[in-house]
Amino acid sequence: MGESTVRQTLPFLYSPRQALAGEAERANPHAKATSFQPEVVAALEERFAAGVQAISLYAGEHSVYIDRSLIVDACRFLRDEQGFDFVSDMATVDRFTDEGRFEVVYNLVSIAGRKRLRLKVRVEESDPTVSSITGVYPAAEWHEREAWDMMGIHFAGHPDLRRVFMPEDFEYHPARKEFPTLGIPGSLPLPPLVNDGALQLDPFPRAHGELPKD
Amino acid sequence: MTSEGGYLTTGVDAVVNWARSNSLMPMPLGLSCCAIEMMAFAGPKYDVARFGSEALRFSPRQADLMIVAGWVSYKMAHAIRRVWDQMADPKWCIAMGACASTGGMHRCYGVVQGVDNFLPVDVYIAGCPPRPEALLHALMDIQEKVRNQHSVADDTREKARTFPDRLVVPTPDLAGASGDRRFAAALTAEAAATEA
Repeated sequence: MGESTVRQTLPFLYSPRQALAGEAERANPHAKATSFQPEVVAALEERFAAGVQAISLYAGEHSVYIDRSLIVDACRFLRDEQGFDFVSDMATVDRFTDEGRFEVVYNLVSIAGRKRLRLKVRVEESDPTVSSITGVYPAAEWHEREAWDMMGIHFAGHPDLRRVFMPEDFEYHPARKEFPTLGIPGSLPLPPLVNDGALQLDPFPRAHGELPKD
Repeated sequence: MTSEGGYLTTGVDAVVNWARSNSLMPMPLGLSCCAIEMMAFAGPKYDVARFGSEALRFSPRQADLMIVAGWVSYKMAHAIRRVWDQMADPKWCIAMGACASTGGMHRCYGVVQGVDNFLPVDVYIAGCPPRPEALLHALMDIQEKVRNQHSVADDTREKARTFPDRLVVPTPDLAGASGDRRFAAALTAEAAATEA
């Protein structure tokens, strides 16, 4: 150790400028090879043609923008023909733009093939509906429930689209940008302050036999 | 019995308070990282058995000291209140840590800004999370409170336990009857600031 230690500084290239550098990015030893999937992207383009709206490569990771109507077909194609057998996570983005306000992000993984791919679907504020992919990936069920709870994205065909975190009669979707950070006063009831008051909200309605509202 | 008390009741109180204060049975409500410190508090190093409270009861029927350790969401508040209502009197409550006391860093829509919005808290502990010693100190404070309790001669403590006299501050209730009162106070201050 000591002076004989070779200090090697690895280039750290994650920046928007470097993301545009293409092959230079590929030389980055930190770039994850699993997320760089030109073959899969090409196969998607070939199969869905105009349904693939855009392809982005940032920090060595591919993201594919898919038309909203084709997301189930794209997932089925990726699962059956490309080996993506797992939806590791889903996310939603409130871009707060006039067009294409919400973005639903699907992170797919092929465990055996060691591949990752990110699919993105943009939906409008006026009709925030996406087809549910639970028929393809059952693991997406709770992810979609969370997206519904927090962002108000409706997933058509979901078997049990209830809220996950907030009480079931909550009227808002808190992750939307117009929702105030401190909440809306009175929208979430607290237990009554008097000792002998009736309990209002049942925290476990499903466990006590109450069905969801719609 | 008059307010001056009598030999018999003070004598019984001394025995009862001695017994109660040295065998408080905590109901642990470990809701987040404070629960880790609470485990240490019950474990061999800090050893709450020295104070007779080593039997953490996971049934409210067998507990008389609720330790709210962690942040409380609005949804959880109702479950906590159920547990609290199931505990037999006399009972005490510790709000452990910044989150349980005030909402702490969780200054957001989903977290109750202090459990005293729906529970009568006896002792608040500062810290994020507080060390086990702090929880031990809170327990000693509760013991002190129990030892100074009088069953017949002085019932001011029981009067103080009723919520409205003790907790409601005279602010316009913007949040509604069931809303977060501390939040309402903040809103009122904000409204006054914008008007001025």
